[in-house]
Amino acid sequence: MNGFHMAYMRVDLTTGESARIPIEAKILERVLGGVGLGSWLLHREAPVGVDPFAPEAPLVFAFSPLVGTGVTTSAKFAVVGKSPLTGGLCDALASSHFAIEGKRLGIDALVFVGECDEPSEWVNGILRPTQNWGRTARETAAALSKEGRVAAIGIAGENRVRYATISAEGRHAGRGGLGAIMGAKRLKAIVVSGDHDTVAAHSEEVERQARRLRDRARGDATAKYSEIGTIGNLLAFDRMGALPTRNFQESHFEGAEALSAERWQSDRKHRRASCADCTIGCEHRYGYKAPGGESKDVRIEYESLFALGPLCGVADPDLVLAAAAKCDALGLDTISAGATLAFAMECGERGELSGGPVFGDDPSEWLSLIATREGLGDFLAEGSRLMAESIGGDALSRAPQVKGLELPGYEPRTLQTMALGLAVGTRGADHNRSGAYEADFSEEANRLHGDARSVALAIESEDRAAVLDALVLCKFVRGAFDDLYDESATLLNAVAGTDADGAEIETIARRIVDLRKAFNIREGWQPEDDTLPARFLTEPIPNGPAKGVTLPRERLDFMIRSYNLGRGWTEVGWLPKEALRRLEVELDLEGLRSSIERSFPEGIIPE
Amino acid sequence: MTKRAAIVLCGGRSSRMGRAKAWLPWFGKTMVEHVVGVLQSVVNEVVVVTSADLDLPVLGMDVRIVRDREAERGPLAGLREGFEAASADATFVTGTDAPFLGSAFVEEMFARGGACAPLSDGHVQVLCAVYGPGAAEKAQMLLAAGKSRPRDLLESQGYQAIAAEELVSAPSRAPWEGFNTPEAYLSAIRSVDAKATCVVELLGRAAKQAQKLGAESTREVPVGTLGDLLATWPKKLGLVDEGRVAKRYLASLGGRDLVRDLSIPVGPGERISMIDALAGG
Repeated sequence: MNGFHMAYMRVDLTTGESARIPIEAKILERVLGGVGLGSWLLHREAPVGVDPFAPEAPLVFAFSPLVGTGVTTSAKFAVVGKSPLTGGLCDALASSHFAIEGKRLGIDALVFVGECDEPSEWVNGILRPTQNWGRTARETAAALSKEGRVAAIGIAGENRVRYATISAEGRHAGRGGLGAIMGAKRLKAIVVSGDHDTVAAHSEEVERQARRLRDRARGDATAKYSEIGTIGNLLAFDRMGALPTRNFQESHFEGAEALSAERWQSDRKHRRASCADCTIGCEHRYGYKAPGGESKDVRIEYESLFALGPLCGVADPDLVLAAAAKCDALGLDTISAGATLAFAMECGERGELSGGPVFGDDPSEWLSLIATREGLGDFLAEGSRLMAESIGGDALSRAPQVKGLELPGYEPRTLQTMALGLAVGTRGADHNRSGAYEADFSEEANRLHGDARSVALAIESEDRAAVLDALVLCKFVRGAFDDLYDESATLLNAVAGTDADGAEIETIARRIVDLRKAFNIREGWQPEDDTLPARFLTEPIPNGPAKGVTLPRERLDFMIRSYNLGRGWTEVGWLPKEALRRLEVELDLEGLRSSIERSFPEGIIPE
Repeated sequence: MTKRAAIVLCGGRSSRMGRAKAWLPWFGKTMVEHVVGVLQSVVNEVVVVTSADLDLPVLGMDVRIVRDREAERGPLAGLREGFEAASADATFVTGTDAPFLGSAFVEEMFARGGACAPLSDGHVQVLCAVYGPGAAEKAQMLLAAGKSRPRDLLESQGYQAIAAEELVSAPSRAPWEGFNTPEAYLSAIRSVDAKATCVVELLGRAAKQAQKLGAESTREVPVGTLGDLLATWPKKLGLVDEGRVAKRYLASLGGRDLVRDLSIPVGPGERISMIDALAGG
């Protein structure tokens, strides 16, 4: 089969030894690459119940069949591991030449297990002590750039901050704290450079399809991202009462105008850039005045903007942009960092936490303390769920997280299809594995009153995301496909020489969703984990355009039950025995059912 | 002392209007807030009957909201829900689209004693009427007998039909005058304030385009349909295409409805934001 190298490299950091392990074609055909392959490898390599920081915990870097083909936005890789923030499966994506060079090692994935006995870096098969410990990811990459393309952690990862990122060329595999796993393994950086090109089965057809996608990815399909960028969401969300503000207490921010793309494009220095192999160019960099008065610029996305701005009650653009730059440098997930700070701010207001940040504070100071785990920063580095559990009382009802992962910038009460996506996501509260917000921002669903239609749209959105993340293509090209499944099959067939059709691609999507869920069940998932913090189900929106809007618990519960049944799971969300058997057989995951039987008191898995 | 209640029916589909009538703006309030506000000064209790899928604005702790379990059976089924919740000696019933309803008129209707309804142009105004005691049970019996008209209920209570001209407290526009279409709603607004305005703002790409063309991105304009409002911008902006809001944009009305239908009305004081269709991500 073309497009794949039919093997992964397993690196034991304890011994320094590597092994090339073959992967059967039938497995790759059934999970593709990226998050599909990564999830499969995690099932294979992770001992049941492993501590994410234990040496035995694997960390997977998975590539895809499209990497190296020149298809627009395909230079992406997936990092997959057991999240130290959620305790469940986490897959995070990043775009960079690291994907291209990693695959050129002649493998489809790298799996790191074990633990270095001193801070180290892995350079094209050689494990060696690093001189870069204590440096930023960018500094580390600069120091190692002559030897290949670099993925590295910052200081937050070194200190096992539970929401530390892995960075490559300024892009981050950001969510779920996978950088902390690298830190626990004392692995500062991974450097890759190879010479195994991806050879497509039908190269002319690949070129034709790549050109077609590139052409269609111009104009309206992506223009929002290239012209305005994701930060264009901020003012629109504000106007719809969907902009999380002051730890989700409100959904409308009085400082929204000052933080808007509409304002910045006319009064700030602004330039655009692109990721590797991308024709969209969604990266928007804005100038700001750093604390010392120096003029700098930083890439900013909506998620960073909302989390470090309105969510923390900060309306000063210079402070928000400086905080985003700080997260980049320290290797912190901006969403979790901002949301954890915002949670601490509300706890402070309520007298549940003393000496912490207050709404409107400059986030940067606190970010440094988090990354180094100094003082209260050590507590904040645990993320909002663990903090809330430690604070006690009803703090958990206000901790902005699902399954431990902090919520992205979508107010669930006013985006109720998305509310479902956030509640059921295997990764936790997440906007990349569920794009259910698309339904909310359309005429298709009633965003203020989720119902059966919302459920169907949420499932479709998750399935589409699974395909894009397995291939791995950027979500921003989604608008360039008429029929994602059929067109993905065409692309895959041209590269791999397979004869898949759209229906098979859709089956793969469903399988990947099942595979992730199976991992979480294996690791102790329970039905009550699929919900939203009680705040969203008991408090109406207090002000702004969405004043009074509620998301009653019964409505969310109805949507969750319908979602589970729509996925072919039991009403409360267990994978039935038949689905587990199918995964076992199709993916050679012997022992999956028996490992899951432990989750049931009598060892009985529902039919 | 007679216990008075009022029922506001607002679960209709509002299909010709394109938006839920309960949420339509009416000079600083939503329509349902306006009607409830009028009634609260006259009755002991207000019950609002809504459909299963229509949420309402915050109406205060003293307003009861009940869901119409059988909306498909028409207004009598909704009324039954309301009567069951209200259990008063006399109950005034109105729809939510009653912009000219006044407290003096409601007071006068109650003062007539017993069930009564205005008669206007030969039509009994069943949704601007007072129903007598025991209405819940009677409504249930009528529904069980396959009847679904509120008038059947009034008749079962031996109601008085009051000629419109006999009602001394009716304002120049009739209290039972509602609206089912955008034109009727806009006409009602203009009859109160001929200069009523709303605000339209362009966000994201639309704002950037406007800037390029030298057009402002925010305007205060007279109320009208969405199509009327967007027609005030240069065509080159491409806000409209094939008789609808262009695919690249969506209109957010008052932070609530997301629409492309140009016939939808925009009310006084409302803010319309033209956002990128690819919101999110």
